[in-house]
Amino acid sequence: MITPEISWLAILPELGLALGAAAVLLVEVQWKPRAQVLGMVVAGALTIALAFTVVQWIRAQDAVAGAGQLGDLVAFSRMILMDGFAVFGRFALLVTTAIGITAGWRLIEGLGRRRAEALALILLASAGFSIMVSANNLVMVFLGLEVGSIALYVLAGMTRSSSTSDEAALKYFLLGSFASAIFIYGVALIYAGTGQFEILAIRSFFSAFIVTSPGVILIGIALMIVGLGFKVSAAPFHAWAPDVYQGAPAGFVGYMAAVAKIAGFAAIARILITGLGDLEVNWLPVVAGISALSMVGGSLLALVQADIRRMLAYSSVATAGFVMTGVVGGATSGVLFYVAVYALQLVGSFAVVAAVSGPANSASSMDEYQGLATRSPGLAAGFTILLLGMAGLPLTSGFVAKFGVFSDAWSAGYQWLVIVAVLASVLAFAVYLRVVVNMYMSDAEGPTLEVPDTARWVLMIAAAATIIWGILPGSLLDLASSAFPL
Amino acid sequence: MIVGAEWYMTVAAALFLIGAFGLLLRRNALIMFMCIELMLNAVNLTLIAAGRALNDLGGQVAVFFILVVAAAEVVVGLAIIVAIFRRRTTASVDELSELRG
Repeated sequence: MITPEISWLAILPELGLALGAAAVLLVEVQWKPRAQVLGMVVAGALTIALAFTVVQWIRAQDAVAGAGQLGDLVAFSRMILMDGFAVFGRFALLVTTAIGITAGWRLIEGLGRRRAEALALILLASAGFSIMVSANNLVMVFLGLEVGSIALYVLAGMTRSSSTSDEAALKYFLLGSFASAIFIYGVALIYAGTGQFEILAIRSFFSAFIVTSPGVILIGIALMIVGLGFKVSAAPFHAWAPDVYQGAPAGFVGYMAAVAKIAGFAAIARILITGLGDLEVNWLPVVAGISALSMVGGSLLALVQADIRRMLAYSSVATAGFVMTGVVGGATSGVLFYVAVYALQLVGSFAVVAAVSGPANSASSMDEYQGLATRSPGLAAGFTILLLGMAGLPLTSGFVAKFGVFSDAWSAGYQWLVIVAVLASVLAFAVYLRVVVNMYMSDAEGPTLEVPDTARWVLMIAAAATIIWGILPGSLLDLASSAFPL
Repeated sequence: MIVGAEWYMTVAAALFLIGAFGLLLRRNALIMFMCIELMLNAVNLTLIAAGRALNDLGGQVAVFFILVVAAAEVVVGLAIIVAIFRRRTTASVDELSELRG
């Protein structure tokens, strides 16, 4: 009998998160401590996970540089990978989780005894998505996706006092499960066509054989694109996003949207670019079409929204389209950089929304932002930086990210897509400018806002990151471009 | 007549489509949820048939994972539906229209 070789390092970050989730629940049951104590347990779990991620990163870079063996990066009978791509995605997820929890802290505190459940769910969701970005086996991708998504469905319905929260939870649940079922059917058809679940094995299959009747495989690829497109809210599969962003508790939405985007795009990039790169003539036009539709449709619909959360939802649909141009370009580093940068901006923006309209509320009309600059100058300034960053103004990280994915797509021969993307960027700019004008150009009304310290920190970190990586993008760009998938 | 894997996979595809269209057309949250289960079971049938045809255990092992995921989805899904039903005493998704814009 062969004993399987187990490289625990590959899953130590996820183990840390999962054990952290268990620890939070147990500590809550045993001692019923103050919220700060639970926060420290969570911070401990995240720190441990981040530390192991750094170890993995060093090991991945050594292996690529030739000091170690590439085989070391494949663990658990080729189920989990520790390559630079996985580690970068995991790192982005962990940082987003830490900032997301901080942003939602006032909401978590307000949940009373259920706060431990919320924290545990957040850690479990991150563990699931972390598995998703590092999985080599498509069934593992599905498992990670479901562990993450199921936790997010519950988080969406966490504030039971608000009737929109359970509506958002149900819509997210029904459409999310629908998308997962479509994705796994795609996986099953790929398996039927190739006999493989492993992404790396699928790649060698397609480079070794020319498939003469690829019908089943093509349907499988299409279904996987649809399923993952749902998860990253790309048009035309975005119908759930506005309702969920609006109905779910504001303190969690930023986190929920950001981690789903990071994990979804990491999976899309790995499956399509790494696994199915040899079939790209078949899927490139489809992804380019989805990308164009998302950019234009998302920006147009964002323009007409009266609720800031729906506006942010449609703008995230547009952003999904922009990131997809990077997938069309075929360079994973641009995709990673874009999602990492956008995740921070998204969490920061929803920290502002939670501060302005209350962390558990669901109404967040654009009018509430009128004259925010006089009522709370710091909040307005930070929000402006984030919005301009999302719009992709030069000297913000959003510009560097957009420039990267657009130039990848241009050199891949998709010039028309880049032209559409630039036009959509102009439209998107109008969307964000509308909020900025609303904050600065109209008269103040209403009382001065009381902004929680946690939201202030999150906003400061997100705005600083947006500006620093806009002026000196080198540090993050170097990391992203040395984050090779195997 | 030999009933090969293609037959099973055709039945599975039909089941999957029934589930997908059911989800899109029905308006009761419980029925929609059952349609999702039907889709997942169609996937299971596909995997078993393909695994059998390829003489590979992987497909049949994957079915267990999908079954467990489906069970976890039932737990969360029914809880959400019950929470909705308590508040509104209806499980029709047409009544859920507070969120729009």
